[in-house]
Amino acid sequence: MIPEIAWKNVWRNKSRSLIVITAVTIGVFAGVFTIAVMNSSVVQRIDAAVNEELSHIQVNNKEFRSSSDIKSLIPAYDKVVAEMMKAPGMQDLTGRIIIRGIASTAGRSTGVEINGINAAKEKQIFTLHEKLIPGTGDFLDTETKYNKAFIGEKLARELNIIRYSITEESLKKLKDEKLPGEISTKLIALKGERFTSDKKFSRAVEAVLLPGEYRKYIYLIKEAAWSYRPGSKIILSFIDINNNQTEAAFRVSGIFRTNNDMFEAMSVFVPEEELRQLTGIPENSYHRVIGRLKDNSLSEAASAYLKKELPGYEVMQWKEIQPDLAMLADMMQQIYGIFMGIILAALSFGIVNTMLMSVLERTREIGMLSAIGMNRNRIFSMIMLESVFLSLTGGLSGMLVSGIVIAATSKNGINLVQYSEGLEAFGYSAYLFPTIDAPFFIMTTILIVFTGILSSVYPARKALKLNPIEALRKE
Amino acid sequence: MKVIEITDVYKIYNSSEIKVNAVNAVSLDFEEAEFAAIVGPSGSGKTTLLNLLGGLDLPTSGKILIDGTDLSLLKSSQLIDFRMRNIGFVFQAYNLIPVLTARENIEFIMNLQKMSKASREERSFELLKAVGLDDRAGSRPSKLSGGQQQRIAVARALASKPRFVLADEPTANLDSKSASTLLEIMEKLNHEEKITFIFSTHDPRVVKMAHRIITLEDGKVVSDVRTE
Repeated sequence: MIPEIAWKNVWRNKSRSLIVITAVTIGVFAGVFTIAVMNSSVVQRIDAAVNEELSHIQVNNKEFRSSSDIKSLIPAYDKVVAEMMKAPGMQDLTGRIIIRGIASTAGRSTGVEINGINAAKEKQIFTLHEKLIPGTGDFLDTETKYNKAFIGEKLARELNIIRYSITEESLKKLKDEKLPGEISTKLIALKGERFTSDKKFSRAVEAVLLPGEYRKYIYLIKEAAWSYRPGSKIILSFIDINNNQTEAAFRVSGIFRTNNDMFEAMSVFVPEEELRQLTGIPENSYHRVIGRLKDNSLSEAASAYLKKELPGYEVMQWKEIQPDLAMLADMMQQIYGIFMGIILAALSFGIVNTMLMSVLERTREIGMLSAIGMNRNRIFSMIMLESVFLSLTGGLSGMLVSGIVIAATSKNGINLVQYSEGLEAFGYSAYLFPTIDAPFFIMTTILIVFTGILSSVYPARKALKLNPIEALRKE
Repeated sequence: MKVIEITDVYKIYNSSEIKVNAVNAVSLDFEEAEFAAIVGPSGSGKTTLLNLLGGLDLPTSGKILIDGTDLSLLKSSQLIDFRMRNIGFVFQAYNLIPVLTARENIEFIMNLQKMSKASREERSFELLKAVGLDDRAGSRPSKLSGGQQQRIAVARALASKPRFVLADEPTANLDSKSASTLLEIMEKLNHEEKITFIFSTHDPRVVKMAHRIITLEDGKVVSDVRTE
């Protein structure tokens, strides 16, 4: 009966209640959606790190990470593989040869990490092959008579392999991307020119466009004007197992693009057998074994198992390899809670105000209820429930709206391309796909109920202080 | 059988320098099924006496026994519970719960007492019929006239078969026809249900129908006349 009366009391003054409910709806929607957007950055970063760069578990020789010594190979590799396959949730694994070296072209050179891989096995562990830029080749799949290398776009730019030019094909691409006609017309002035660097091309485009047009469309124009000659040559220099300085020519057989500029700039992938021949590393010898689990959540268990079973090795899960990312993931949960808490605290003032008005308007009625036998607990419960219903109605509406908007935007993503350079420098994508999990919705619901309860305390105390005789006298 | 025993009751209000004897050495008894009116000029202490009888206020001195229970010995929560089970109230301004229908208002006290749904429904329809509003069971107070609302208030006051009903100026806001109808219903219910009715009133129609008239002046009982 009390809940029924409380619910009906909420709708006594429909317009007033609707105003408060709308405010709570908007506040909750703003909070939940913002958190979904923040969460998407973190989730995408972790997914990218695990699926493209680290996988779940890595096992190294204990000396390898500190020394990067080519001789720090994994002893008893077959035993390590056998033990790793027994770890909880282990799905697949692969070995890598990893050496530090220098990649260079005419006039450019940069330090890199050269990874000798088995391309077929790598596809079972990582999704890097899906990041291949169309038209640039393949993921070390094709048999060739020359050494081949799969490199990141950032490295390709560093080595001056990428070219930019405005051609008929690029103008058509821009038209398909709905670039306004007047912008395309201005770009025709650059047709026929070939730019050997990102910087030179950007300057040329800046000269023909207005500042606002440049800021808005430069990323799109660069994408369309981008080109690279397949099979471009790079030289990889490194120290082999006998401490001899070695260098070899490789042909770039494919270029990948991720959201992590640093990873793109540092990583070169070559066939394992080619690198073995050049370095003298024996067969069945690797610097690292990488394992993929059935689920991310099994990382702790698998890592603990392998640390126990492989005491002479360095066993690391992704959280230990990138502790900043792990810390970010953990911290974000607390930040979400605090963020929603602050929003609801602000909204609670509106609820308190409304409830106070409602109680003061009903002084006589509350006096009557007390007179005819409604005890203090019931009066308090009635007012508290009114407050909870008010906040829950607004809160659930807000969560419904945010659920719909999140579902819609998570399909197509939110385009932050104009900030892509900054985001990708930190390993974050310029396309955000808002996402939120069920525990967050449960936590938010609990917070909303708590807000309703807290907001009712002051008005309910006001009601309980009423003397029935004086209350009944009021007009 | 005595339902109410009032023995030498005083109610004194001390506000700043003025001391007011709102109720002054009142001693009265009320029997079962009495139909009594307390009359007197404004400020004579009628409403104060009714508040004391209803347990809404406590006497400064003296004793009030309801069915042998001394109200001054009850704690606040016990007093509220006692009122719910033993005393019905009819206020001057109807004081129905606006978000509930007529039937729900009548059932409200029975709900507080945790009576079964079947019992509540049976009793509420019985009372709605008794007050002539069985066809308005589903109407909210805003859809009822003043007289109809007051009849529902009477039905509510009787819902849990209290020992007595206190009615403070129940006809004050009603037109003459509604007032007459209401009084007839109250007298009929007094007769049928054997419930004591005590009115505080200025209305001569109430006085005319009352079986006992108690006159107060300056907080004192100046006359107590039984007409039946």
